[in-house]
Amino acid sequence: MSLAEEYTETSDNSRLERGLAYVQRNSRAYLLIAPAAVFLLAVVGYPIIETFRLSLYQSPADSNIETFVGLQHYVEIFNSDIFYRLLWQTGRWVVAGVAGKTLLGLLIAVHLKGDIRGRKFFRTAFLIPWGIPYAISAVVFRWIEHPQFGYLNAILLKLGIIEQGIGILGNPSLAWLGVVVADIWIGTPFMAIIFLAGLQSIPQELYEAAAIDGAEKWHQFRYITLPQLKSVVLIATLLSTIWTFVSFDVIWTMTGGGPISSTATLVIHIYQVGLQNGNLGRGAAYSVIGFLFLFVFAIIYLRIYTRGGDEL
Amino acid sequence: MTMAGHDRSSLRKVRLYGVLIGLLGLMMLPFYAMFSSTLKPESEIFAAPATLVPSDPSVQAYLQVWTQTDVLLWVGNSFIISVGTVVLTLLLAIPAAYSCARNDFVGKRTFLLSVLVVQMFAPVVLIVGLFDVISQMGLFNTYLAVIVPAAAFTLPFNVWMLYGYFKTIPVALEESARIDGASQLQILTKIVLPLTKPALVASVTYTFLYAWNRLLFVLTFLTDSAKYNIPRGVFSMVGALQTDWRMMLTVSVIGIIPLLILFAFLEEYIVAGMTAGAVKE
Repeated sequence: MSLAEEYTETSDNSRLERGLAYVQRNSRAYLLIAPAAVFLLAVVGYPIIETFRLSLYQSPADSNIETFVGLQHYVEIFNSDIFYRLLWQTGRWVVAGVAGKTLLGLLIAVHLKGDIRGRKFFRTAFLIPWGIPYAISAVVFRWIEHPQFGYLNAILLKLGIIEQGIGILGNPSLAWLGVVVADIWIGTPFMAIIFLAGLQSIPQELYEAAAIDGAEKWHQFRYITLPQLKSVVLIATLLSTIWTFVSFDVIWTMTGGGPISSTATLVIHIYQVGLQNGNLGRGAAYSVIGFLFLFVFAIIYLRIYTRGGDEL
Repeated sequence: MTMAGHDRSSLRKVRLYGVLIGLLGLMMLPFYAMFSSTLKPESEIFAAPATLVPSDPSVQAYLQVWTQTDVLLWVGNSFIISVGTVVLTLLLAIPAAYSCARNDFVGKRTFLLSVLVVQMFAPVVLIVGLFDVISQMGLFNTYLAVIVPAAAFTLPFNVWMLYGYFKTIPVALEESARIDGASQLQILTKIVLPLTKPALVASVTYTFLYAWNRLLFVLTFLTDSAKYNIPRGVFSMVGALQTDWRMMLTVSVIGIIPLLILFAFLEEYIVAGMTAGAVKE
């Protein structure tokens, strides 16, 4: 719209013309967001609806025959032992992973905070694990944890901690730990960088005042750093929780959910049932349950994100 | 400063760098294991327990990898998928972000929040429904089968990143261009986008990395091994019975080299992008 048009529009007080101009102005705004909106509706919105619909059907992937079964999938899932085992394994995976990433990330960030030499180098180096394909990190950890030829066993043997090579990923009670370690390694850089950004926004005067009052380092951390960092920690752990919950590539590459399903989480099970075994209906029902979890996380995230509401 | 104080501060420095280097060593250990293994000859890599330092390092594996694996093909495919995703995402995100930054209209808030929710909806819980959509659209086994979902899940970040940035560009600049007779498109391409360069670099880097790294979409929607990307290629080398670890690790090293280069040059933008994506300033 040209400036001249805008000018005449503001000088003319006819309601109809103003209204028309308003619609016209908006139509351009709508036109510009339309491609993105339509695209998201088609690629994300529609699959969501399709997933809900599929979850009510018996639907093998390799045929076009769909039989309506209502809530049968859900009833069967809630009555199965597998579901509760998956919940436990998913919870264990998320809690251990997020706790590890948060603590290590905080440790790194606190040490990078000061005015240190080579900060750019350290920051880049610490960031690298986050940026490489998860599948590659996963095979590298699989290699490190290899029962015969792995570096981990070699180190443990050398230190005299074990006497015989152990196969972590082949052991149903240890395998999840072997995978969590890889996941923590991948997720820590994100936490470290976010925490570092948070730490650097804390006013330096707070520490100076505390130092004059003779506060110990630990007390400064406890009473200044942590409270000031609270919202950043909240957002970062929430995001990390969501990402860990839906993490697929690492588990799939390292164990495929095994041995005897001991490393399977809810999303791994979705993939196994829905796509690997070709039971789209059952997989979709598991997906809907996964949605519900994500939905809760998403609401909490939006609440925190839009707090104040001024940004929009 | 007193002598004691001086000692204490240098002691603190030693401790600080000690901890940092220790942590860095821990983080770098997997890279060491990966890289040092590729320097071992075939006989040494299958030695139990593993030798921590290659006894007779050679680059033989790097010479063999070209003839024994499809690494070049996978790297090429990764490029096609990443570039395709970047182009599609930007084509959709720039107009949308610009529109939201410059106009106030009913539904804008809903749009922006819905976009944010999409970011929460991880592809893996959608994969069953997405599988149906991709087959119905006839995209199965084409690059688009990977590009389309990747673009959908990188779009939210791009919209928000660019939206935030566009808002910081003064409207006055655009108005004076308009008076000079520039069209809307000219204003966008000649004035707004050049000013948005930092945000664009962050967006492109994030999107490129996302598409480069993803295994799930390729695993699900591409069965033609000639279209595998790097993660899928590496995954395909994990054999049910036997895995050629030496070749697989060598492919892995080659597969991450482009990313290491990207990181070295664009570290600032990546950090800016990561923080902007998660924490509002």
